[in-house]
Amino acid sequence: MAEEMKSKVKNYKTAPFDSRFPNQNQTRNCWQNYLDFHRCEKALNAKGDDVSVCQWYRRVYKSLCPISWVTDWDEQRADGTFPGKI
Amino acid sequence: MTHQTHAYHMVNPSPWPLTGALSAFLLTSGLIMWFHFYYTLLLATGLLASAMTMFQWWRDVVREGTYQGHHTPPVQKGLRYGMVLFIISEIFFFAGFFWAFYHSSLAPTPQTGGHWPPTGILPLNPMEVPLLNTAVLLASGVTITWAHHSLMEANRKESAQALLMTIALGAYFTYLQMSEYSETSFTISDGIYGSTFFMATGFHGLHVIIGTTFLATCYIRQQMYHFTSSHHFGFEAAAWYWHFVDVVWLFLYISIYWWGS
Repeated sequence: MAEEMKSKVKNYKTAPFDSRFPNQNQTRNCWQNYLDFHRCEKALNAKGDDVSVCQWYRRVYKSLCPISWVTDWDEQRADGTFPGKI
Repeated sequence: MTHQTHAYHMVNPSPWPLTGALSAFLLTSGLIMWFHFYYTLLLATGLLASAMTMFQWWRDVVREGTYQGHHTPPVQKGLRYGMVLFIISEIFFFAGFFWAFYHSSLAPTPQTGGHWPPTGILPLNPMEVPLLNTAVLLASGVTITWAHHSLMEANRKESAQALLMTIALGAYFTYLQMSEYSETSFTISDGIYGSTFFMATGFHGLHVIIGTTFLATCYIRQQMYHFTSSHHFGFEAAAWYWHFVDVVWLFLYISIYWWGS
């Protein structure tokens, strides 16, 4: 399972089709993966587990999200004003 | 040929459409001066001018109908059409604000945290004062129907009582809503939630005040014996408007207060 994940991340080209977000507007796709990466990171850090499994979500949001959104959200998280639940 | 041989009302020349147009201009330019330069004189003049226009225009309609007998059945039919069309236009007006609310709340954006209500918004409890407000307006719908039936049965005492109760319930709603407004932890500038909440409920409140005023003028006219048991269109128009206001509240309560929390 972990081997499959590692090879998937290694062979990553761009975000694959996600049937949860089938339409042209991919905003939610970017948002969900951004959230999922940071939630994954937070949860695994709390348990002291290996955070590298979270890399998939990071790859996806890095591919999909406009850079300015990511910058804004990172700043909001630093300020404590990020509206999403992590 | 010294008298009309048809049943319609050829209205005499009147200055009120002109003063109405002028006051509309004063209102709009007054808003601009207030918003941009904090200057309120133009707006105040516009409000005064439009209030005076409305008072004098509608006073003339009462004079023409009640005192001069111009409101024959076909004329009354035209007035009915007019009121219905006006209320339909108001329905479209509110439809816009409901559209805005549903657009933002059905598919919440990242800015809200991806959910509704947005992060940081503490909505009012729909089971507290808003539910009381619902009961108040529903009751007022009953009392105005009672007033209408009493009027049609030529029962002056009960008609006046029921109308007064309706007005009191309308005023109570306004009082309750004003106190709710002071209790909210959010303002109109608190994101899309604040905007949709206060635009929709705010315009509704304004319509409650207008409706209550309309009902109050009906009360005064009733005391002055303007209405007969079979001819009282002013009262009916006020009743239609009041029911419309009640229905809008029901939609507001279910959409914004209940589902939206």
